[in-house]
Amino acid sequence: MSALSSAVRPLGPTASRLGRRHAWTAAVVVFFALLLTWNSSQTRNFGAFEIQTLLASTLALAYLAMAQAVVVIGGGIDLSVGSLLVLANCLSARFMEGTSFGGSALVAVAVLAVIAALGALTGLVISVSKIPDIIVTLATSFVWGGAALFVLRTPGGGAAPEFQTLVLGSGNAWWPALLCLLAPLLLVWAPLRRSRAGIAIYALGSSKDAAFLSGVDPLRTKVIAYAVSGLLCGLAGIATTAFTGGGSSQSTIAMNATLNSVAAIVLGGVALSGGVGGLIGPVFAVWCLYLIPNIMLGLGVDPSYGEVVKGVVVVLVVLVGGQLRLRRSRSP
Amino acid sequence: MTNSEPLLRARGVAKRYGSVVALRSVDLAVAPGEIHALVGANGAGKSTLVRILSGVIRPDAGEVEVAGKAVRFRSPAHARDTGLAPVFQDPAFAPDLTVAENLRLTTTDAGAFRRQLAALGLDDVELAEAAGMLPLPLLRMLDLARVLAHDPALLLLDEITAALPADYAERVFEAIRRARDEGRSVLFISHRLLEVQEVCDRVTVLRDGSNVDTLNTADGSEQRIVAAMLGERAALAVTEPRKVAPRTHREPGEPALVVRGISDGRRVRDVSLTLAPGEVLGITGLEGQGQDELFAILAGDRKAGGGEIVVNGEQLVARHPHEAIAHGLTLVPSDRWQALLPQRSVRENLAVPLYNAPGRWGWIHADRELHQVADAIARLSIDTRAQAQAKRLSGGNQQKVAIGRWLVGGFTTLLCFDPTRGIDVGTKHQIYDLFRELAAAGKSVLMFTSELREVPLACDRVLVLYDGRIVAELPAADADEATLLSSAHGLADTLTESR
Amino acid sequence: MTDVKEEAIRDEGAAPEAGLVARIAAGDRSTLALIGVLVTLVLADGLIDRSFLSLSQLRNTLLVTAPLALLAGGQTLCMLTGGIDLSVAMTATAAAYVTGVQSSEGPVTAILAGLLVGVAVGLVNGLAIGIFRVNPLIMTLGMSGILTGLLTVGSQTFLGGATRMSDLVLELGGGTIVGPIPWNLVVWLLLGGALVVGLRRTGLGRMIYAIGDNRVACRLAGVRVWQVETAVYTMCALLAAVAGILIGGRSGSVDLQLAGSYLLPSVAAAVIGGTSILGGIGGYTGTILGALILAVLDTMLNLLSVDEALKQVLYGSIILVLAWVYARGTASA
Repeated sequence: MSALSSAVRPLGPTASRLGRRHAWTAAVVVFFALLLTWNSSQTRNFGAFEIQTLLASTLALAYLAMAQAVVVIGGGIDLSVGSLLVLANCLSARFMEGTSFGGSALVAVAVLAVIAALGALTGLVISVSKIPDIIVTLATSFVWGGAALFVLRTPGGGAAPEFQTLVLGSGNAWWPALLCLLAPLLLVWAPLRRSRAGIAIYALGSSKDAAFLSGVDPLRTKVIAYAVSGLLCGLAGIATTAFTGGGSSQSTIAMNATLNSVAAIVLGGVALSGGVGGLIGPVFAVWCLYLIPNIMLGLGVDPSYGEVVKGVVVVLVVLVGGQLRLRRSRSP
Repeated sequence: MTNSEPLLRARGVAKRYGSVVALRSVDLAVAPGEIHALVGANGAGKSTLVRILSGVIRPDAGEVEVAGKAVRFRSPAHARDTGLAPVFQDPAFAPDLTVAENLRLTTTDAGAFRRQLAALGLDDVELAEAAGMLPLPLLRMLDLARVLAHDPALLLLDEITAALPADYAERVFEAIRRARDEGRSVLFISHRLLEVQEVCDRVTVLRDGSNVDTLNTADGSEQRIVAAMLGERAALAVTEPRKVAPRTHREPGEPALVVRGISDGRRVRDVSLTLAPGEVLGITGLEGQGQDELFAILAGDRKAGGGEIVVNGEQLVARHPHEAIAHGLTLVPSDRWQALLPQRSVRENLAVPLYNAPGRWGWIHADRELHQVADAIARLSIDTRAQAQAKRLSGGNQQKVAIGRWLVGGFTTLLCFDPTRGIDVGTKHQIYDLFRELAAAGKSVLMFTSELREVPLACDRVLVLYDGRIVAELPAADADEATLLSSAHGLADTLTESR
Repeated sequence: MTDVKEEAIRDEGAAPEAGLVARIAAGDRSTLALIGVLVTLVLADGLIDRSFLSLSQLRNTLLVTAPLALLAGGQTLCMLTGGIDLSVAMTATAAAYVTGVQSSEGPVTAILAGLLVGVAVGLVNGLAIGIFRVNPLIMTLGMSGILTGLLTVGSQTFLGGATRMSDLVLELGGGTIVGPIPWNLVVWLLLGGALVVGLRRTGLGRMIYAIGDNRVACRLAGVRVWQVETAVYTMCALLAAVAGILIGGRSGSVDLQLAGSYLLPSVAAAVIGGTSILGGIGGYTGTILGALILAVLDTMLNLLSVDEALKQVLYGSIILVLAWVYARGTASA
């Protein structure tokens, strides 16, 4: 064996390789743990109630960040996730109002099906028209926003209280919200991630050419990614209904939610260029972004500075991440 | 060998991209259990043919038969299911996925893959590693193993040995022979005629998008292959009365460019050269000998690890191309898509250097610009019929625009990387003439060329690059193709003989 | 020989080089189509309600269009380089807010302070995107958040006090010179004219198209891409600041939601006008038409008392259909 080929053989032990692949997620988890410790030291009797509040108030955005992550991993970007959330919120609030628990659950399933179908449609339009994702989803964000207004002109609607409790928990019961969050991860994403279709999403985002040469069907993969994303948007809308006990079609909600979802995935280790990242990182990033204003409040700083800190953190993370990647590609 | 039904047969396959004809009409037949080479100069259409045969692109005309049955490939996956499996220079691995995940994508059986790896002498590859973290040569070997694991009837190997370490290349040859012994066919595309002679049974030669010859390598007819690749020399003589460029009068005094001991720590090793004003200096070499990196360093697009560059007596340390350009050192890159603004007009393309610094961002003097642009267009005879968007020009006119930009912008030394790749004979001679004209006016040209026959037509002197070093220097008059070829292959003894 | 060549280029070059009228004459199909759409919409408005074609209604339409067209102008610059600026709305709001708070210092100081906000925001955006290679989407998104936070806090602390605009700003934003001509139209015409001409006739304009078309080629031709990008994002933010001050002048006082609703329409106007989000294609003439179409469409839907819901659906559909048409146009070329 010549020196040349032994030099090109990878020698890294498994541990360092695993570390490299999940370094970002690990960093976000550690960051979250630090923030949580900090926050808990500020609050007297920090406990189950605070955890329940954290989980319940971030559930919708966590779903939405996951929705954005799936699309971005597949090499796209979805500016309509916020509008889909609002549409799902309005649909579910309108039709759940005055229903029993069973009725609410049935409505939830129907809403999920509709929103997932709309997501799939978006993916289909992008693939067929060859218009950049960002333009198509900009356009559909108007359309879904308008549709939400049709459904619910003024804030209102409602949901069965039992249904709300089941989704979010109440008082000290923090586990329902956590279970709801884990459900799509375990039931949808985990199996998909292991299947050929899920790998194809990563492949398409990583390298279109290599994916095509490997036999990935770009249209089918795009549609699947957007359908899963739509499903998660639907969940986000229903979680909003459960959290607020109603629906609102205000367009600023949609836009803020979309912008927050992009910030969360970037912080959570999903590369905007596609192919890299997962759904766990973005969820932890959402929790981090939730804790920052809380901590500032605890420090006696105006929590509105939280927005500033969020913005700076997101930009810095992308900047440092980008520079690190540049350096690594220069000195392989 | 030829009396049996061919495994793969192509008839009249043609493909064009806009105004550029990539394949005119190709017939090809590969027998079962045969290693068939496909050779041809740059731009002859080898890659296009492989991409058609592997289902990446669809031909405009012609038909493909596999084992006597006509097929129209819908996708690479379809071609692979039919038994045709390609390995490209750029391995088809999604870089962010692990090797194992990439195997899932192509539904490759992990056990079969492991066995093929072992046969290639690679037992300890970690499949959980992200493909993008692996070195390119290894990745290409993995691609080969993956393709073999699918038990293909025909292997399509596109330049698989380019920039491959020697021991890997040897294992590839072993694998190819083994595949033949198992009754598979191989279509082997290579620039390296020595390999072709050594490994292949038959050769088909492509030139300008058509097959011009098919012969048995057993006949030892290297001369015939080369002649077929180069085409009719008589045709050249008609368009170009003088076969050897006249030596320009070299002005005494300061050299236009001096390079001393440039290295980049990887591909370029201790390159030194001197270029006089009024000289056209050629550099030639096989693919991947460090020429890309050398030109990038000279143009300021890449940092040198050591050595110095002196332009007209001034030391140049460039961190960005604009510093090299300020010294009069300008680059015409190899890839036209690195030079052109495809959606903008010819005029805007030519005028880019006029506005490349904030001090020049002001009002455009339309008449002055028009005059300069028209001058460049006239000197290069650029066809201005399709000038609204540079992407609609023919390849030759695009190349003229890339060169013409510096006639507008001004320079003292022009770095030209393979300026005549893939363009027609007439345009080539216009470009040679332009270089002579520039030299006569006291400018210097440093050109890399992969077409050896170009050297005596355009250059005063030629350097041969091998493995990042300059291994030979010849006056153009002595630079016949045989001498250049053998030095380009790093055959030093042939070189001394010819001296 | 050379003269003939020069003549040939001059003729061929006429289409992209000349002004709107010449472009129409030369048969620039997409511009023609946009004008067709605009005229149809205006006539339809007139049919629905005679009063639409009155001078006062024309004034109203122009009053609404000017700030949107300025924001969309900045957006066009960014999109031509292959980027996007999602902070324009917050930049506009911040500039208006600062102008309002500074009114007590005199109108000129107030306006300058507002414009300075724009320059500062644009410089930070441009340098981060150009030198540190932060993705434009993320950088401007982050900037939007940063400005939101600063304004929210600032309104209670360092930017406290009344945000009543001075008379000069009120006049600029909502006043009328003569007949149907509002003052803000003059501001728009000046800046818009400079944009149209600047993109065609200045070296910077050429470089904006060039880096949007092929960054690598620009680098190899000696262009320092970061300089162009810094200039572009600074100009974009400055235009946004002007637009914000005009919007503030129209509404009289400033709150934090002042310009938020303009963000997506600013992108939409550029897309409708034919500027590609991938860069290198488009121009401000198209964007002006895009902004006018959006404004007239808005008026029409209001006249028809179509509710907000259908309006939004229509907006989205129009963007999608036009983007599809443009995409097909480039694919067939």
